[in-house]
Amino acid sequence: MFLKIHNLQKFYGDGENRIQVLKGIDAEIEKGEMCVLLGPSGSGKTTLLNILGGIETAEEGYVSINGDKIKDMSEKNLTLYRRKHLGYIFQMYNLIPNLNIKENIEVGAYLSDNPLDVDDILKTLGLYEHRHKLPNQLSGGQQQRTAIGRAIVKNPDILLCDEPTGALDYKTSKEILGLIQQINEKYGSTVIMVTHNDAIKNMADRVIKLRDGAVRKNYLNEQKISAEMLEW
Amino acid sequence: MKCPLRKRLPRELKSDFGKYAVIFILMTLTIGFSSGFLVATESISASFDEGYEKYNIENGNFETYTELTDEQISEIEENAITVYNNNYVEAQTDDNKTIRIFAIREEVNKVCLMEGKMPDKLDEIALDRAFSNNNDISVGDSIVISGKEKKVTGFVALSDYSSLFSDNSETMFDATAFSVAVVTKAELESFGEDNYHYSYSWLYDNEPEDEAAEKEVSDELLTKINSISPLVSFTPRYLNQAINYARDDTSGDATIMAVLLYIMIAIMAFVFAVTISNTITKEAGTIGTLRASGYTKAELIRHYLAMPIIVTLISAVVGNISGYTIFRVMCAAMYYNSYSLTTYVTHWSASAFLKTTVVPIAIMLVITLGVLARKLSLSPLSFLRHELKRHQRKKAFKLNTKIPIFTRFRIRIIFQNIANYITLLVGIIFANVLLVFGLGLPDVLDNYQDDITSNMIAEYQYILKAPVETEVEGAEKFSLQSLENTLEGYENEEVSVYGIDADSEYIDADFSAEGIYISDGLAEKYSYKKGDSITLSDKYSKDSYEFKIAGIYKYPSSFAVFMDNESYISTFDLEDGYYTGYFSNESLDDIDESLIATVIDKQELTKISRQLDVSMGDLMYMVDAFAIIIFAVIIFLLSKIIVEKNASSISMTKILGYTNREINRLYTTATTIVVVICLIGTIPLSTYLMKLFFAYMMKTQMTGWFPLNLSATVYVKMAAIGLITYFIVSLLQRKKIARVPLGEALKNAE
Repeated sequence: MFLKIHNLQKFYGDGENRIQVLKGIDAEIEKGEMCVLLGPSGSGKTTLLNILGGIETAEEGYVSINGDKIKDMSEKNLTLYRRKHLGYIFQMYNLIPNLNIKENIEVGAYLSDNPLDVDDILKTLGLYEHRHKLPNQLSGGQQQRTAIGRAIVKNPDILLCDEPTGALDYKTSKEILGLIQQINEKYGSTVIMVTHNDAIKNMADRVIKLRDGAVRKNYLNEQKISAEMLEW
Repeated sequence: MKCPLRKRLPRELKSDFGKYAVIFILMTLTIGFSSGFLVATESISASFDEGYEKYNIENGNFETYTELTDEQISEIEENAITVYNNNYVEAQTDDNKTIRIFAIREEVNKVCLMEGKMPDKLDEIALDRAFSNNNDISVGDSIVISGKEKKVTGFVALSDYSSLFSDNSETMFDATAFSVAVVTKAELESFGEDNYHYSYSWLYDNEPEDEAAEKEVSDELLTKINSISPLVSFTPRYLNQAINYARDDTSGDATIMAVLLYIMIAIMAFVFAVTISNTITKEAGTIGTLRASGYTKAELIRHYLAMPIIVTLISAVVGNISGYTIFRVMCAAMYYNSYSLTTYVTHWSASAFLKTTVVPIAIMLVITLGVLARKLSLSPLSFLRHELKRHQRKKAFKLNTKIPIFTRFRIRIIFQNIANYITLLVGIIFANVLLVFGLGLPDVLDNYQDDITSNMIAEYQYILKAPVETEVEGAEKFSLQSLENTLEGYENEEVSVYGIDADSEYIDADFSAEGIYISDGLAEKYSYKKGDSITLSDKYSKDSYEFKIAGIYKYPSSFAVFMDNESYISTFDLEDGYYTGYFSNESLDDIDESLIATVIDKQELTKISRQLDVSMGDLMYMVDAFAIIIFAVIIFLLSKIIVEKNASSISMTKILGYTNREINRLYTTATTIVVVICLIGTIPLSTYLMKLFFAYMMKTQMTGWFPLNLSATVYVKMAAIGLITYFIVSLLQRKKIARVPLGEALKNAE
């Protein structure tokens, strides 16, 4: 199994204020799957995503990717791991304001020994003609596309997306989701996406529903549809 | 592939050009001035070293009451030295300046011709360059010496008079009222042998190894010569202020300049650190994303470190170029203004380069790296969540709701930007210390001069060569000799020992108690108090005398002790009725001038302050200008950062409907409150620091003492300069606030 999550437990606070945000998560994700982590606010989905990305640690349990347990990695190795294998997309685009679009994507390319062609990425993302513009000259959707480009240019094994459409309007959100789906199909990246939007689960291969820090449902989506068909 | 983050650097420079330009200019000026100063001082020091051989500078000199015979000279030369005749006369100009005139030296203490030509006829004279500049004398002018007109053929620098000390016991030379000069041998003889000072220079056949060996040899020589012919004075080279003072001053100044440079660089490093810190806060989300994507902490540190290092490096290069060209000349001129230096050749100094390039970069690197390493050590998640404080305050501290909302807002702005304001405070303290020096020293010198003149014992102190009576009413006899204060840990210093008439009309002290009175400067410098003991020694005979201190007497002119004449006679085993001079408020015109050794009057007593005024005049203006620049730069940069940091909030208040004026009442006023408190509140601290530094300098670098007493006007000027500078800067900040766009608050809303 490509990605295995075993009895993952996470606590915040201490003493009387200690709360358990993940209550023993178990799950397995195949390579190349598009997996949606669904749940309401406070269900622990972002925490789970952060632990999968190695930027948060769990108190109990482990995550293994291709047999390597993340919790056994040192800080240095974790950084190296993220550099080589992970791409991140956040709700806030976090682009570098004084680099143009192409340069922002090159920031991601720099991390890889074998990055994808930046111009190809730009064309795929529909940003080629905007490549010399600065982020503040683009719309929210274009900025998010740029952030996606930065994440995928290093051809990561896993693409982690935390509410990637949270700051976007309906039409743009669908475009972005379509793009993510396209990347998943074209480059074979395993995509793990956190969302509170129930409709998005329909474009996923696997759906993990979380509530109160526990998995309520974990199933394969037999009726997967394309992003443009989504409605909410 | 090269890291694409580096493409940010030129764009950052362009977008924040004002800030970087200001930092660059300040650093370049600081480095340039320091570099020029160090090169000038090292070149001048090198010329001193080379000068010993080039001008064959004496190993010492002595003066006798009578001319030495050849046999006496031969006997002295048995101590493995060669003795050279260096007779001189001292004459007065028609405006009462003293000129010490030598024959042109051929063998020892040779002369450096600075301008014009050497005299080759009677009634021709070559004067000291510094004295001539101070008295507006040009080559070709005529001056009247001892009633006779002499033509000035040239300007010279005598290698044994780089500082124009007329007497080695003086605290300060006076290049305005005293000069040296050279004439032909025939011209010197025309002054008459009766006016000769029988002065001799000596050179060792074999140079002593070090100063300790030199002291031993010269002490032996002193005893020998004194036994052959009584000495008027004996001055080995290592003690000769006329030879060493300028050289010691330049090396001391170089140390101070290096320290000032490093303090400035450290302040700029902290300014950079604050700027970078704010940038990191602003870019927290981006940094978190980069770290989460796999950028290492080291890569980001290198990225944010690049700009400070590049700016420092370019400043160092440009600063050094301007230092070696422009500032070197300026700084050398400052020394040439004060001292009678021979010509120097510029030495391209590796150590100056090290101090003004490598060390500033190292300081910048260490401080900025320290701040960056700390700031970027947070986890990627902390950056993503914008949780950048290590100890997150859970809640805002409570403020009493009775305080008006605007005031509460301002208080929160102040605490929110406390790191910036602390850096501002440090910069203001530093600038204030410079201002205390720059504004205060002229004031101190004026006050010192006033203090001296209002505490003079008498208008005239006549020191006689031999006892002589006077008919002038009010003249009072006194005795005087010089001893040395030999306190461990301090250089030996000359102290005037006065024997005073018990019913003196000039000294108001009660001599009935046992002990002596010491002057206030002597007490202050060495921390003597009533009841302590003081030991004074004869420089030549080495006899020492211990006295109990009965009181402190206000006499700022020099280091002195006072006792009644009976005790004086008894202590020094002299005959009854012994005296050496007169106090008088009237000129003693009935005394033959040939019997007068010296007259101490107001001009003589205020020598030190006049000379310092001349020497340091230009430097004070430069120090003041520098302080103002520091004020302006620090306040400008840090208040700019505060506006940028709060751009989102400022924008939101505009959206809510607040006018620019109201927003200024919040943000600019908050900074104004802090600046005013810092400016005025740090004046006492700055003054205290300056007084400490000044006392340290006086105790370790200078003989004599004058206290750093500042008048209230200095503080008023300091506050005014700071406030005016801030006022101008705040106008710029108001413009900046007005330019914050309304849309700023709507970006990246979470």
